[in-house]
Amino acid sequence: MDFSVISDNLEYFLIGAYPDGPLGGAALTLVLSVLSGVSAAILGLVLGIALSSLKGWPRGILIAVLGFLRAIPVLMLIFWSYFLLPIIFHVDIPALFTVVCALSLIGGAYLAYSVHAGIQSLPDGQWAAARALGMRPVQVMRLIILPQALPIMLPSFLNQWISLIKDTSLAYVIGVGELSFVATQVSNRVMVHPTEIFLFVALVYFVFCSSLDLLANFTTRKQAVKHA
Amino acid sequence: MKKLTALTALTLAVLSGLAHADRLEDIKKSGVLRVASFDSNPPFGFIDAKSKQIEGLDVDYAKAIADKLGVKLQLQPTNPANRVPLLVANKVDLVLANFTITPERAEQVNFSIPYFSSGQQFIVKKGTLKSQDELNKWRVGVDKGTVNEGVLREKFPGAKVVAYDDTPFAFTALRNGNVQAITQDGPKLIGLLANVPDRDKYEVPPFTISNDLIGVGLPKGEKALTDVVNQTLVELESKGQAQKIYDTWFGPDTKTPLARLYKIGDKS
Amino acid sequence: MFGELLGPHYLKWLFDGFILTLTLSAVVCLVATGLGFLVCLARLGSSRLASWPARTYLALFRNTPLLVQLFFWYFGLSALLPEGLVSWLNTPHEVSVAGVEISWPSFEFIAGFWGLTLYTSAFIAEEFRAGVASVRPQQREAGVAMGFRPAQVWRYIVLPQALRTALGPLLGQYMNALKNSSLTMAIGLAELSYASRQVETETFKTFQAFGFATLLYIFSIALIEAAGQWIRQTKRYRQGAA
Repeated sequence: MDFSVISDNLEYFLIGAYPDGPLGGAALTLVLSVLSGVSAAILGLVLGIALSSLKGWPRGILIAVLGFLRAIPVLMLIFWSYFLLPIIFHVDIPALFTVVCALSLIGGAYLAYSVHAGIQSLPDGQWAAARALGMRPVQVMRLIILPQALPIMLPSFLNQWISLIKDTSLAYVIGVGELSFVATQVSNRVMVHPTEIFLFVALVYFVFCSSLDLLANFTTRKQAVKHA
Repeated sequence: MKKLTALTALTLAVLSGLAHADRLEDIKKSGVLRVASFDSNPPFGFIDAKSKQIEGLDVDYAKAIADKLGVKLQLQPTNPANRVPLLVANKVDLVLANFTITPERAEQVNFSIPYFSSGQQFIVKKGTLKSQDELNKWRVGVDKGTVNEGVLREKFPGAKVVAYDDTPFAFTALRNGNVQAITQDGPKLIGLLANVPDRDKYEVPPFTISNDLIGVGLPKGEKALTDVVNQTLVELESKGQAQKIYDTWFGPDTKTPLARLYKIGDKS
Repeated sequence: MFGELLGPHYLKWLFDGFILTLTLSAVVCLVATGLGFLVCLARLGSSRLASWPARTYLALFRNTPLLVQLFFWYFGLSALLPEGLVSWLNTPHEVSVAGVEISWPSFEFIAGFWGLTLYTSAFIAEEFRAGVASVRPQQREAGVAMGFRPAQVWRYIVLPQALRTALGPLLGQYMNALKNSSLTMAIGLAELSYASRQVETETFKTFQAFGFATLLYIFSIALIEAAGQWIRQTKRYRQGAA
């Protein structure tokens, strides 16, 4: 196997055509992951709190929406929101924004349940005591519940972020120049080294995801020590 | 009374602003022409290793049209399957990506006059195809979203069709032995082979199964834009620029010499 | 645009794609569960010879995108395999099993199945591990104290409880496998997402093609969810409640 194709094109793999073009490659993968990760976390937090606090039919609607987002394949959501939404709603969404939105919505839907589980895991006594002390519901959430629940939910967040990094590879279907897309461009130009190129791409993703994975393990172990 | 007239005037002004603005005007106002071209199909559209930009025959035509309109050219890389969705969803203004003119497509998009012609051909491993009929039993690779897929199914209904995202993928499958032949426009196949180090192992059998005319894809109903594009194409031919563009990519000194059989303005 | 329904010719394409999606997911889930269980046992095993390769396997397949893995298996690996093997894998063979003709699946299906199984089994292994970890060590100690041999402790005490805890997440992984099958369209497998794109290319009825495919995905996911609920209310499951 000849790995010179990797070293010859390393810059293109890592940052795309920048500065002669938009940012691409592994750098764009990181940017997409960070943007989607932050949005998914915020969305998941809001929806999770909503899931714990709402009752009746608004909760039913929320569960239906979350169910839809968890049932649809990511590839389809990215492809169809990019090409279908402009036709139906006459809004033009740039490709990058579409990817971040799709990944945030799906990530947020999964995280909502993790946040909900984290909140539910706290004993009811906490709520009761806080209310008895005269705190308003918002204060209870902010000062008592969330500070305890968030560390429990951290591994879930990190796992979702790992998924997110991998899912950015699906942006290739709408021509976003992240790592998988530029790698296939190079592979299509050079033609005879698909194995080397895909191994390299796998390695880059592996480095990104494993770093987060190690961080996740580290925090769970630290927590276990704290609570022991 | 005066108030009513003012209100009517205001409403009319707002409504006319909201009325469907001509795409040509939009382009001139924004100063940018968005064009979708191939990024993996030499010599029509491919990423140049040094400049890292998309270059090729289609890109040269796009540049000429942008120059005529006096705007900047912005290229969007695409594969065959995304061409029509990009146009219909208003992500690009033009499609210059080896886009074959067909009556079905003409219902969804506008076409310019043709600027290139080609026939659908095959690549096979050297010496494997003895006669055309064998294709009826073979596994054949195609690109998603091309007319080639439909023509293949029509002419060789017994063939097992496997569709890939783009021609290089199909060729890799051919090299690996996952398919026994791939089909695409002849010039594209020639361009593909010219860039492959092991080209001696393959051949393009000298028959075509269809004759296609390639045109620029435009949004449906945009008459003004279509007229300007057609005008540009005719001018390019009459000034000899079209021949120059052709020679840059298919001329006798290139890797893919191919005789020019179609000039802009010819009847097919 | 919301307009006419798709013709029967195109509905058939979508339906064929749907059957392929279901078949692929079913086979993947079956094999991945077995494989994931074995990898989990290896991972939890006391010997380094078993646990380190298992850990590597898990890290490798969980931390790389499925798309890249599928590209590797279909385009990358078949470049390395000997030509004879590849052409044998690609030729349709037919096998008669108990009077039923089973035809050899396409190479796209094989590569998709292989890649998806390895990927899913890594996640299933982790779910099993979490399930086993949820069984308190006192249970194991009590079992040993009662005279159970280690294998019996596993079979009668740990596994039933572990499987019970892991059921929900396991079904979640099955749903993921179903959704991930959509990625095989990149290697030419004519499953549901591919079929919906194909229909859209020919008919230009974007909304109908997309809508129908989405409904089918949601329907299948709902089916798995319903299966989970059904299992949860069976007597056997309810008996295990702590």
